Amino acid sequence: MSVPVDRSVVGQEFDRTTFPPVTADDILAYAAAYGETDAGWSRPGPDLTAPPTFSFSLRGSHFMPKNLPTHLGRHAFDAGKDIEIGVAVRPGDVLTAVSTVHDIYEKTGRTGAMTFVVFRTAVTNERDETVAVIDQKMMFR
Amino acid sequence: MILDLHAHSDASEDSRAPLETYLKWLQRKRDLLPIDGIVLTEHRQWNPAADYRSLEDHYGILILRGAEVETEYGHILIYGVTDEMTRRFDFANVRLTAQEVVREVARMGGVAAPCHPGRPTIGLCEHYAAGKPPLEGVVAVEALNGGSRRGENERVQALIDTYGYGAFGGSDAHLVSLIGICATEFDDDVRSTEALVAALQGRRYRPVDFREQVRAARGAA
Repeated sequence: MSVPVDRSVVGQEFDRTTFPPVTADDILAYAAAYGETDAGWSRPGPDLTAPPTFSFSLRGSHFMPKNLPTHLGRHAFDAGKDIEIGVAVRPGDVLTAVSTVHDIYEKTGRTGAMTFVVFRTAVTNERDETVAVIDQKMMFR
Repeated sequence: MILDLHAHSDASEDSRAPLETYLKWLQRKRDLLPIDGIVLTEHRQWNPAADYRSLEDHYGILILRGAEVETEYGHILIYGVTDEMTRRFDFANVRLTAQEVVREVARMGGVAAPCHPGRPTIGLCEHYAAGKPPLEGVVAVEALNGGSRRGENERVQALIDTYGYGAFGGSDAHLVSLIGICATEFDDDVRSTEALVAALQGRRYRPVDFREQVRAARGAA
């Protein structure tokens, strides 16, 4: 059997990015990209807020830590996201995304052993309110 | 009395089914799924603080708890989990030794029963076929698993015939609409974990399959 997985990186922060202030154009472009028709998310004006999934479009500097254990497996794929949505994003908000290794766990299935790594990204605004908490799972084997 | 002996709520990382939604579903589908209770067998974990009595009272459905652990012989359901067991075994360890689990769980007053034995890699049949020695002390196996693919449940009968294992059923539900589709009918009243362990150690139960009538009802809708 394979060796137990190294969990020493769990809890490690590997990215912290503060983005330029959100603009109305950013929100409108995001909404238009997937055909959003709800006026509150797609019509310019004082009531404009970003669609709830807006913060998922943010990209930090690192998708995963550089020191992830090398024995997890040669292949990896996206194993899904769990998303908790917080306060709405409005034009002028300054968002910060902090990414950590939230968990590493193993399981066995029909096709053999797998290791899952959960990267958690917490997005907050300039008032330190939670905008979203995104758990991105990657499966390695 | 009919119990679904194998179900995962959203406490398991690969399930999206809230416990209460299972209960609402069973309450609503009572004509199709005459399930008196379910046993939550979350993957690789045991939460000693979980208390579902208010949900039991509200929905009139018995809720018992076990666990599903992983060994070199495949996955094993543990019924009658105790603090002693969780001190003895790290349930999150996917490399548990099956013979130790079966022997020690029995010694500590529980039952460790291999689940989905016909499933590749994580089922007992494949490991026996590969020449591993048969596990000693197994009293029952999950002969009917609601998550099995074609042919996987069918492989289990030979195992039961050869080794004389008791046969039970469970849905292995990870989604709400799959709860209760396979279950176990007990001749005796099973109202507690202790009673479940005692019943499994006897042989007065059998798997029951509701998949066909669920399919038929969906087709008629």
